[in-house]
Amino acid sequence: MVCIRKATVDDLLAMQACNLFCLPENYQMKYYLYHILSWPQLLYVAEDYNGKIVGYVLAKMEEETTECHGHITSLAALRTHRKLGVATKLMTAAQNAMEQVYGAEYVSLHVRKSNRAAFNLYTETLGYKIHDVEAKYYADGEDAYDMRKQLKGKKYHHHHHHHGGGCCSADLKADEKPGSAETKQSDLN
Amino acid sequence: MASKFGFAGGIPERRVRPIWDAVDSRQFKNALKLSTALLSKYPNSPYALALKALILERMGKNEEALSVCLNAKEILCNNDSNVFVDDLTLSTLQIVFQRLDHLEMATSCYEYACTKYPNNLELMMGLFSCYVREYSFVKQQQIAIKMYKIAGEERFLLWAVCSIQLQVCCGNGAEKLFQLAEGLLKKHIASHGLHEPEALSVYISLLEQQCKYGDALEILSGKLGALMMIEVDKLRLQGRLLARAGDYVAAADVFQKLLELCPDDWECFLQYLGCLLEDESILIKDTDPFDSRMSQAVDFVRKLMVEANNNSVRCPYLAHLEIERRKLLFGKGDADKVVEDLMQYFIRVSFLKNLVKECEGSVSGPTKELGQSITVFKIQNSIGELFSLPVNDLEDIAVQMTEMFCKNLSLSKELDAQESMHGEELLSLACTVLVQLFWRTRDLGYLLESIMVLEFGLAIRRYVWQYKILLVHLYSYWSSLPLAYERYKSLDVKNILLETVSAHILPQMLASPLWADLSDLLREYLKFMDDHFRESADLTFLAYRHRNYSKVIEFVQFKERLQHSSQYLMVKIEAPILQLKQNSNNIDEVECILESLRCGTHSLELSNEIRGKSLTFNEDLKLRPWWTPTFDKNYLLGPFEGVSSCPRENTHNQIKQTEENVLKTVEKRSLLPRMIYLSIYSASESVKENLEANGAVVDSKISLELKTLLERYTKILDFPFQDAVELVFGFSSGQKPFEAPSPDMIDWMNFAVFLNAWNLNSHEVKFSDRDPSSTSTWNLVNTMLRKYVMETIRCTGPVVSSPGSHLPFLVQLVTEPLAWHAVIIHSCMRSLHPSGKKKKKGGSVDQSNTQLLHEIQNSIQSLCDTTEMVMKWLREQLDTPDDEKFEAIFSSILRNGRNDGPGKVFKILESSSSLIKDVEVGPRILEAVKSWSPAGDVRKIIAGQRSLLSEFLKICELKLKSLQAVRVQL
Repeated sequence: MVCIRKATVDDLLAMQACNLFCLPENYQMKYYLYHILSWPQLLYVAEDYNGKIVGYVLAKMEEETTECHGHITSLAALRTHRKLGVATKLMTAAQNAMEQVYGAEYVSLHVRKSNRAAFNLYTETLGYKIHDVEAKYYADGEDAYDMRKQLKGKKYHHHHHHHGGGCCSADLKADEKPGSAETKQSDLN
Repeated sequence: MASKFGFAGGIPERRVRPIWDAVDSRQFKNALKLSTALLSKYPNSPYALALKALILERMGKNEEALSVCLNAKEILCNNDSNVFVDDLTLSTLQIVFQRLDHLEMATSCYEYACTKYPNNLELMMGLFSCYVREYSFVKQQQIAIKMYKIAGEERFLLWAVCSIQLQVCCGNGAEKLFQLAEGLLKKHIASHGLHEPEALSVYISLLEQQCKYGDALEILSGKLGALMMIEVDKLRLQGRLLARAGDYVAAADVFQKLLELCPDDWECFLQYLGCLLEDESILIKDTDPFDSRMSQAVDFVRKLMVEANNNSVRCPYLAHLEIERRKLLFGKGDADKVVEDLMQYFIRVSFLKNLVKECEGSVSGPTKELGQSITVFKIQNSIGELFSLPVNDLEDIAVQMTEMFCKNLSLSKELDAQESMHGEELLSLACTVLVQLFWRTRDLGYLLESIMVLEFGLAIRRYVWQYKILLVHLYSYWSSLPLAYERYKSLDVKNILLETVSAHILPQMLASPLWADLSDLLREYLKFMDDHFRESADLTFLAYRHRNYSKVIEFVQFKERLQHSSQYLMVKIEAPILQLKQNSNNIDEVECILESLRCGTHSLELSNEIRGKSLTFNEDLKLRPWWTPTFDKNYLLGPFEGVSSCPRENTHNQIKQTEENVLKTVEKRSLLPRMIYLSIYSASESVKENLEANGAVVDSKISLELKTLLERYTKILDFPFQDAVELVFGFSSGQKPFEAPSPDMIDWMNFAVFLNAWNLNSHEVKFSDRDPSSTSTWNLVNTMLRKYVMETIRCTGPVVSSPGSHLPFLVQLVTEPLAWHAVIIHSCMRSLHPSGKKKKKGGSVDQSNTQLLHEIQNSIQSLCDTTEMVMKWLREQLDTPDDEKFEAIFSSILRNGRNDGPGKVFKILESSSSLIKDVEVGPRILEAVKSWSPAGDVRKIIAGQRSLLSEFLKICELKLKSLQAVRVQL
């Protein structure tokens, strides 16, 4: 039975393994660490009964724009654990936290135009709508749908963070180029 | 002193902006030019100097950068009131100092600035971040408290509280410090309240660490509890606190509430059940409460099932099974009913799965059937049933699995090459079954088939990591290490996976002649770890700035976990040993390397540091195949021990044993560099002693230290020193029977080598009462090395048809004890002939050295003979034509009218290319299947073995050459 729980720093070990086994690519460790140390409430893992990590969601808050909103950076689920609603549960947990902890107005994500399975999950199960198309968003030249989902948008409460200009954010910009911040669509459901 | 508008570090911004732009666009040469110009105008500006240093560092001119930094530091700390000091200057300097690994200098700059301008919050925050980078928890706390006193801000207080927690959790702080932190928080809350959710979690964790669960619960249910934004998080915390406080009834209530909100939270259900049964304290022994509480659970779960109108919720159904299972464990269940419930559950789940697929418009009966068959195989495998089947049945299963995979290839017709295929697991399962067949029958054909199923799978889809990991182990076992390494590289292991996955190949590589590849592996791993440690300091501060206090603690603990990694320590110790091996034919190089290791004390210090601290083991052992649950255990090296010895059962003990062994191995290996250093010294001293017989004082300190290390070494091998000496003489004289080659024997030979070096000066080992044939420690070493090479070669069959051969043992023997002994000989020779030629004084070598010279002569001869013996064996292996080897291997799977034995699986794979049709599987898969070449797989194995043997032969040739060169000097 898969449990959804908040990620801890220690989970990064297994999360990265999960990433490797999902798709033949993985991110720099700094990228995960940056997320968990900045927005720990937005990282969730799906844990199998024997403590194995079988999926995760990485998300962040965008605070530079006027409307405070969340962004799903990465979503992955092991193929062996598909069709169990793991991705849906992970997404729901992250979206709730964006709304309740940070008062996000909406949540955004990017998805490959060709990735029908992921697209269906976002539109049909989770209620995302196409906001825009970003031409050649991915490294291989494919377009991305810029998708959004409106949240109830509680007003931004006192729990305010000071982001930007941080010691890591400057370095991290480089990692967030299109292509590396890709949602793991091929293994979604 | 505050930054003026339009000024940066006291310089008009318009003057520095071009420099920033040049640095940002990586035009460092231009930046340097501009910065030199700036400096001519502001020669004493610390900021201008800091900029220059930054540019120099980016250009890789570290020494120049450091000297410019030091210059800036001097000006800064000169107490000159005209000098402009601000955070921009200090933080720029800090960046450069950090990159140059001089954190402490950046800290001292900030410390100075904070004294000069007290109460400046910006500078104090800079200083705080310096202490964070240095993990100086006490100083962090002190400066945070100062800031709190000045500004009264909650965050500074929490920085201080975190620093206190770190002192206790990761430092040497006593637990009573928690009281101090609690007091600080209480006082602040009384006057200001709390405003951040993370502050509340820190407060609660502080109370929890002091076991003040009641207090924590009170706070959580009070006004501050509102800070927890997510209701279920709060309930979870409450439940945990209640359970820890021993109030199981209330805790069960809370978990029940939680389950009503999240009916699919399995962990929560287990906690609920745990609380009902009071798992934490005493298990309920009486029947009465058990029955009543279980029926309570049953009722509740039934209610959840009714309420869960969402069909995808599984937890209540599993919960029902769990309850029945617990009843059974308690002796109150009905086994038949559990089985029936289990069936019902599976029917329901597969019904659901089907439903989902129907909705998606892809009804696929065969996919479902395939999935079910795989599940059955996996269950058989996980309950160990496969180990109890007779060989024939086992073979049938392997055949079934392979057939099923091939037949169902058509299901994956539409899939992209990057996507997992249907039934992929079947081939991994078939492989493990075939390996078991090999273990039982020792029939090479099964081993070859176990490899072929995987290579077949990889030909169709080259991304399957499970296949690759299995192949890494199979090829390593079959002495085709270069091929194993190739498969390992195709896994593209990087980042933290270097820590969790590289153990699949590292241990084999350490005992191999593939030095260049090994050196790459070690370097890459160390670079990742060291880079991470450098970066993690900055990341910790990120968590402070974002006020994620609980993550600060977690992250520092994570850093410690990596820092105490057993693999990290091992690699730090093995990397220099590899260098020593690589250069062992040149004593000057060896000395150079040792010098860079502080005469070998560096490794000693490393292992001393970890003594008393526990090491962490981060390898993901679940990824290992059944036959090698840990790196130092391989069931295939021993005989099949019957069905009772299902390796899975022993895994836990095996892991514990390995972890204990690692500690010993690390300590043992850490002694080597220093022992080599002392032996070299001891050897040359022994010559000098003889040369200058009158007046020279033998450096007895060296002798004493070497003896201490030898004693430590034998202690790790579980022998007192004297007994160890007896033992090695026993080995060499034949009183002790020849033991099968093992890593232990390498340790004993190393011991003998260093014992001889020590004895050259101490002369403590006496021979009168021993076997007359072993007249000296020189002889002891010669005999031991020769004997073990001879015996090992005698009992080792041809590499090609002897998987798990003793080749790694021979490699270690030649590259370690034999190499160290040769180094000692080189050292003696160098002292005898300082300029490489015969000493002029006295014409020839001093009379008193005749005995020594004689021993050296004998020893060189013996080492040459031994090395030649290995070379002869290697050449025999290499001289066998590949075609002959090919026949030997390939024939093992050709059935040629046989009815039993291996070959059936191969037959299925082979015929698949003619049976599979384009229309069914699509062109991509068809082409892939046709591209698979079984003969190619065999040739690759042979080529891998050949390259391994050739590398080893090269090492032997060089060793022989260097020995012969010394002989010429005599």
